[in-house]
Amino acid sequence: MSTQPPSSGTTGKGRWVGQPLRRREESRLVRGHGLFVDDYKLAGMVHLQFVRSPYAHARITHVDTSAAAASPGVLCVLTGEQVAARVNPFIEIGPGCDGKIVDLPMAVGKVRYQGEPVVAIVAETAADAADAADLVEVDYEPLEPVIDGEAAATSKSLLHEPLGSNVNWHSQFEYGEVDAAFRDAAYVVHIPRLHFHRFSSTPLETNVVIATWNLKEDTIHFLSTNSFPAFAVQFLSPALGVRIDQLHMESWDIGGGFGIKITSYPQMAVCALASKQLGGRPVKWVETRTEHMLASAHGNERTFLDTRVALDKNGVITAIDSRHIDDCGAYPRYEPLGCIIWAQVLPACYRFRNFRVDFSQVVTNKCPVGPNRGYSRMQHLWFIERCLDICGHELGIPTDEMRLRNYIRPDEFPYTTPNGCVYDSGNYPKMLELAKRLVNWDEWKKNQQIARAEGRWLGIGIGTTLDSGTNNFGQARIVNAHAPYSGQSKAAIVKLDIYGEVVVFMGSVPQGQGHETVAAQVVAEVLNIPPEMIAVKPGFDSLQNVYTGHTGTYASQFAVTGLSAIHGAAEKLRAELERLAAFALKAERAQLEFGAGKMGPEVRVRGTEKSINYWALANLVNVNNAELPQSMEDITLNCRYLYKAPFTVPDVEKKYGNLTLTYASQLHIAVIEVDRETFQPKILAYAAVDDCGTQINPRIVAGQMHGATAHGIGAAIMETCEYSPEGNMLTATFSDYTPITAVNMPELLCGDIESPSPFSYNGAKGMGEGGAAPVHTVCAALQDALFSTGVLIRDSFHTGDRIFEAVRRAESGADRGVRVERRG
Amino acid sequence: MGFTFQGDFVVKRKPEEVFDFLSDPSRFCPLLPDFEKMTATDASHFTVSLKVGIAHIRGTATVKMALEEAERPRSARYSGKGSVAGGTVEIGSGFELDAVPEGTRVRWRGTGQVFGQLASLAGGLLEPLARKNVQRLIDSLQTALAQA
Repeated sequence: MSTQPPSSGTTGKGRWVGQPLRRREESRLVRGHGLFVDDYKLAGMVHLQFVRSPYAHARITHVDTSAAAASPGVLCVLTGEQVAARVNPFIEIGPGCDGKIVDLPMAVGKVRYQGEPVVAIVAETAADAADAADLVEVDYEPLEPVIDGEAAATSKSLLHEPLGSNVNWHSQFEYGEVDAAFRDAAYVVHIPRLHFHRFSSTPLETNVVIATWNLKEDTIHFLSTNSFPAFAVQFLSPALGVRIDQLHMESWDIGGGFGIKITSYPQMAVCALASKQLGGRPVKWVETRTEHMLASAHGNERTFLDTRVALDKNGVITAIDSRHIDDCGAYPRYEPLGCIIWAQVLPACYRFRNFRVDFSQVVTNKCPVGPNRGYSRMQHLWFIERCLDICGHELGIPTDEMRLRNYIRPDEFPYTTPNGCVYDSGNYPKMLELAKRLVNWDEWKKNQQIARAEGRWLGIGIGTTLDSGTNNFGQARIVNAHAPYSGQSKAAIVKLDIYGEVVVFMGSVPQGQGHETVAAQVVAEVLNIPPEMIAVKPGFDSLQNVYTGHTGTYASQFAVTGLSAIHGAAEKLRAELERLAAFALKAERAQLEFGAGKMGPEVRVRGTEKSINYWALANLVNVNNAELPQSMEDITLNCRYLYKAPFTVPDVEKKYGNLTLTYASQLHIAVIEVDRETFQPKILAYAAVDDCGTQINPRIVAGQMHGATAHGIGAAIMETCEYSPEGNMLTATFSDYTPITAVNMPELLCGDIESPSPFSYNGAKGMGEGGAAPVHTVCAALQDALFSTGVLIRDSFHTGDRIFEAVRRAESGADRGVRVERRG
Repeated sequence: MGFTFQGDFVVKRKPEEVFDFLSDPSRFCPLLPDFEKMTATDASHFTVSLKVGIAHIRGTATVKMALEEAERPRSARYSGKGSVAGGTVEIGSGFELDAVPEGTRVRWRGTGQVFGQLASLAGGLLEPLARKNVQRLIDSLQTALAQA
């Protein structure tokens, strides 16, 4: 184990690293040769269907499953009460819950969100289970639903009565001299309310589980789409009353995840219990699209209240003071981690040092949240971007100039934020310059003048954001001082198989990120052989011993943690091969070089004809090992490396410390016109510049950029998880949720710069989440387009009808929602 | 998702006659749009089966209803709760009767609440469908009262 990057790192472009190789996974996946969980048809497998609550908040007064139990093909029926009798409540990450929030796999006594599982039916076929589910009768006594996060704290209707309120977590964060900064400010901008809407992800594949409880061995095998199985076992093990070594977790091909598949463990537990009840038959559950939209996990909704921004006479922000309410839905699950994860990017890309926020998280009668792409940081980054943008408009400072005055400067990196995070590298002015050039800024500025003269609403907006990657789990201690988490680690195995094949096990859970390809590139670089000569085994299998408690695919980190582990393991293998080859070739190690010869990968003596291929080297260890001297008995050619990120535990009292290792950045510019007849926003031009440090594979980086940008544009103008006042989710189908497709995408003018991270062995920074740059950018462009109408962009979601309402509200003379205090 | 509809009409019947009609489930319920059958539990509780269909969601709704209030000859009020594929429906309908020279003025009020996937799947269609069905009920009611 090491806390330092391996010594012979391959930074920058190499023969393989840095090249835009095609993804080796593509052919398999695009041709339909992937193996997804629903593709498995196991002997004796049966199917599970949930009966879900139509109510957001109601007491369950009666459950009658007799007709369902007698339905053809039905094997067992489990009610929430029956499940509760067989499991322990899931652990809570938050402090002080002590049973005040009881999170069980299914509803017991009352339901807390529409779509919450109430009964599970297991039948021989999925159709039998679905038919039987229709026969279940559940009587409910409706309770007052708590839908509005802002009202939740004071609502008399409680979701979890023992908690005594709907507030799940609350604390104050304060850094610098906030009061002094406001006292000395030239301007104070008051923004009473900003709101970041609830949206989610729409992976091609929904959640799927196959659970098999082997009664003879008392082990449970899970094949699932869970993207953080090492985390899931920490919840499943105590809930099911088994040791972690009794859980065999496998995740292979996954059709997208974006974080929201991390919290699928409740359904996994129900499948396991059903399997046990059925004597160990495999139980499969395949989530429908509507179930996924309704009841899997959504992104956090957040409201920012009573915000004050202090600025000096030049429009430089000196302090922000605000009150934030995060809405985590009915059960915290991964929360309240979101109550601290935003602090990874506390000042966003800006230099202000004084900051105070009163942060609360509330529970509401909506789908529980999960760590959706850009988790918790994007809400905060959007807030800071809105503050900056609104201040710029109010003070008459051009939006590009406003940013330049406030950006952290390139020569200030590594930059320590007010709360102790260390931004590794970056150059935001350079990114702005490139984005302006790509989008043809000056030309659009002229067009904007013409458009405005014609009475058209055309705006140009900038969004600068961060993608903080490789998180320090020690931040969990800030939300719960007793949380037994800290640091970050990943494991990998690179080995030479019996006949000399190079095989990589990485234990990650890719969902389209191209891990197989970049892993092969890194190992190819170390061994100086083509990537095609390297077999990479993707996916997670707890029996492979290639994981840690942090292993999973989340938080933009594979390029740093995953590749560091793979690189470390490859270096160890290289060292063993070198020792063996020196012995076999009777040469000094310094004389040896690695490469590929006529007989495959080999090690040769430089400047001679002497060489030995990997088959022969593997043979020496695995088959013909009596020839080896005792000094080489430690050589296994099976090299495991554990990468541990260089973190320390944050200061819990001061809420201070480095929470993330790398900070990729994105800078987007959008030109948007709002149609004055339909109020529909139309993107006329869009530039996206990315800086993820050294790129391992530019083609994959470009793909991630396109994906993240599409996700963000969809979130800004198409996608919302909308609830009625009764708690009905009104956008639980694709026809209502309208996820973005290629047809809706503008042409992206892409660019990148590389600011290598000094904290990763390869200069790479984690990327892929994208920091929700388009949400910030679209809002900024709309603000620019509509500022003259009196509209203040206070929300993150903007369809034509919402813009129509905002314009009408402004035209009616309603309070614009911002006030500027000018001093002197 | 909730709906409220209300209105009034005048029929050439005495309030007592109108009340007797409205407060008799066996006469009132068949007027419900897409009525299939009714099963009485007691004098004021009964179950009604209705054919329902919104876009691709089709099936039978089983609605447990109760005559909550009956004050002859001034008012009657029904409430009901039922399940249909993908959701739960809560309905209420009330009638207040006033004697007028032409007969009886019937002031009616109908409420509906939809919970569950039905609301999200058929969200935009529910309100016009409910409006249409309420109108059908009122039309049927006027015709039936005129012929009673």
